[in-house]
Amino acid sequence: MTLNRIVCFLCLLLPLALPARNVDLATVPERRTVQLTIYNSEDLTLVRESRIVTFKKGVNPLQFSWANTLIDPTSVELKFREPKTGLIMLDTTFPHDKPQTLYWNVQSDADREAIIEISYFTSGISWAADYLAVADPDEKTLRLESFVRVRNLSGEDYENAQVRLVVGTINLVEKIAELAKLPVGRVNELKREDYKDLRQRAARKMMAPAPAMEMAAGAMAYDAAEMDAPKEIIKEGLSEYFIYTIEGTETVPNGWAKRLRSFEADAVPMVVEYRYRPREYGDQLTRLYLLKNDAASKLGSTPLPDGVMQIFRANRSEGLSYLATQNLKYVPIGDKIELNLGVDRLVIFELVKQKIYRDNLWFQIKGGNLYRKLGEDGFKLELDSQVAGWDEHTVYRQKIRNYSPKPIHVQIRRDYAGDIVFRSRLNPTLHDFQTVQFEADIPVGEKAALDYEVIARLGYNQKQNRVELQNGEAGR
Amino acid sequence: MNQTRLLYPLGVLLLLGAIPLDVLARIKLTTLPVRERVQIHLDHPQVALVEEERIVPLVKGVNQVDFSWANTRIDPDTLVLRILPPLGEPVLDAKVLSVSYPPNENALVWSVAASASGAARVRISYALGGLSKDFHYRAVADREEKTLELAQYLRVNNYANEAYDLAQFQTGVGAGFDKSLGLDETKEVQINRFANTPVRKTYTSDPVKFGYLDRAQDKLNVPMHYVIKNADGALGKAALPEGKARIFQDDGQGGSAFLGEDRGQFTPPDDELELYLGLARDIVVRRTIDRNERQRIAGNLYRYDVTVKYEIENFKDAPATLNIVESVRQIRDQVRGDPGRDPEWQLGDGTLRHPDPEKSDADQLLFHVDLPARSADGPAPKQTQTLRLTLNNEW
Repeated sequence: MTLNRIVCFLCLLLPLALPARNVDLATVPERRTVQLTIYNSEDLTLVRESRIVTFKKGVNPLQFSWANTLIDPTSVELKFREPKTGLIMLDTTFPHDKPQTLYWNVQSDADREAIIEISYFTSGISWAADYLAVADPDEKTLRLESFVRVRNLSGEDYENAQVRLVVGTINLVEKIAELAKLPVGRVNELKREDYKDLRQRAARKMMAPAPAMEMAAGAMAYDAAEMDAPKEIIKEGLSEYFIYTIEGTETVPNGWAKRLRSFEADAVPMVVEYRYRPREYGDQLTRLYLLKNDAASKLGSTPLPDGVMQIFRANRSEGLSYLATQNLKYVPIGDKIELNLGVDRLVIFELVKQKIYRDNLWFQIKGGNLYRKLGEDGFKLELDSQVAGWDEHTVYRQKIRNYSPKPIHVQIRRDYAGDIVFRSRLNPTLHDFQTVQFEADIPVGEKAALDYEVIARLGYNQKQNRVELQNGEAGR
Repeated sequence: MNQTRLLYPLGVLLLLGAIPLDVLARIKLTTLPVRERVQIHLDHPQVALVEEERIVPLVKGVNQVDFSWANTRIDPDTLVLRILPPLGEPVLDAKVLSVSYPPNENALVWSVAASASGAARVRISYALGGLSKDFHYRAVADREEKTLELAQYLRVNNYANEAYDLAQFQTGVGAGFDKSLGLDETKEVQINRFANTPVRKTYTSDPVKFGYLDRAQDKLNVPMHYVIKNADGALGKAALPEGKARIFQDDGQGGSAFLGEDRGQFTPPDDELELYLGLARDIVVRRTIDRNERQRIAGNLYRYDVTVKYEIENFKDAPATLNIVESVRQIRDQVRGDPGRDPEWQLGDGTLRHPDPEKSDADQLLFHVDLPARSADGPAPKQTQTLRLTLNNEW
């Protein structure tokens, strides 16, 4: 076990002017409680610790030092928790000869014991979500487990800390790790005047003590008898943020990471869909698991923070089959969850260009403003005329073969630029003004042939920039 | 708090008392639960998934189960510990509480709560780098080149720095098998054998894909292939994965002659696996553009009439079928340059009028031409085939 590097001294026998002496006597009040509020969008953790300090009547110097840690010196604050009156912080001094140290002068109106709270920002502590999804062998439902992983590279051991994790993005004008390297005086020279206010405003909503912060000794003595169940992670929405509070306390030594289950949901309903959406998934037919982050799906108690998801399918011999690893983007409550499994080699997806022809040819006569259509009455074989517009017909057959052991549903989106007519019997819809969407169900072992014709109005014939759907046979 | 600790590769370390993790790393009492069962899944195209089943002794309360993988390429993000239902009495309820990752080590510590002291059946799954697979084929054709025996092999290459005794392999192709796999060992296993598989020997001319043997004399390359359709009989039930194929032919004397080798492509059911055998020298195909007439329609709009002529000689003493493949776009580009548009065309009244509908499209045409055998005492008969195309609406 390493020693804490963050130390709070109550200096004895020190004059009000800070000392330039070599012989000191100090008492070291132990941390009583510590709370970590960790942001995943920035390298930022708000640490709030309480200590019991005995003050004598008069002025009491307090020294706080944080050697070899990544604390932002401008963020260190002192508050008096108990009693709330009778104690006044007179000033704060950052000595020039002692880096990563400050002194507070505290005026007490009586000899008393007090609970003080010291808060500061540190970098080097991070958290990230990760997920484990295991589909059942029939791929009707899946089991979704969500975890949070806290990593401590801050240089400080935090023992028996209450851990709160913030989901959401905040604005920082400076990186805490950079501030931690600079003396306070230089920080002030380099930064905008309001940088601290901005940063603290961003985090202010998380500053309110959590109910469990009143834990004191009770929470610290989290005994073994209670630990035979995974700790609950309490999720609370606050403004634009979500705060996960890990039940009880955790010890995360410097250099270590710890992973805890955030939630688990069994038998989450899902559907399997095959999609061809080149803009989203590349030029390939992609297999997806689709589910929703809502109560009907046994989820929806919290947004799903960004994180890596490992996706498996259970086989029928208590084992797993690896399917994919995916970086899940933040999923709000009620939103869809798409798990991209990549290409299924048991489903063959081929596009065949079957035929090309052109018609509706228009000529520009002698380079002027006169245009004539080929075949139009009175149009002669003008030598000095150029093709200026035409309709280009391309007939396609989309072949899909399903060798997978289950019937499949396929959704296809194709983008077309320009003035386009999409002719088919496929009952297509427009996803947007230039994207056609159509769908097909293919039973096990069957083949589908989806025919369509794309008519591009080109050159002089182009009047629009959009796709028009037309019900009709492909090809002439 | 009771703590039990599992150490890999793969020991179990048993500790009693409430000892913090960093202290735990220095004081170890280790039991060594052996692997009861190992499954290696190679069915994913890129990832090898290993599953180990072990019986882990737990004591009532919270146990620390340590797993480390020094010098192996386990992807720690894929590590999953699952506690399986007990096979018999007494019933032990266990649950993973948390996972801790010590600094600068390929290791983790699962915190596992147990309702009673006893043994828990656990399964540890992880993706392992350095464990790869590839497929190989051995094809032996009969004397008449009508059927062949196709054997399919799986080769597992173990550079994962970990040995596995009697692992169950699931490859996604054929039935699984049980084998031991040592360090840096490569294991080859035959996983399928397809006897009496029908095979077609094809001769193909395709100026775009295979080019010319002698451009000055307009002689095309005529490659030979064995074509195996992945359908019917034992074939056709699953895709044939890509892999190198060595091709032999029965020499009629109890042995076989090596004909060559090729890399077989991934072949889904109903598709054809083509194995290249080399160039045929006894079938000669000369290709020329015999005619190119341009007719003005209006202004700068033209129609082209193009005839491609093939003079074909079969010097073999056996009949053969020649596949003639043409790209209409390549013909159009040859006769008038590339205007950047797809050609619009119609087949004319040449001798080649019926392209294979399954293998022809808006650009590529495939024709099958039967070539009679050379007569025993005479020269090879020369036959001439023509492909006539009308290229419409060119400018």
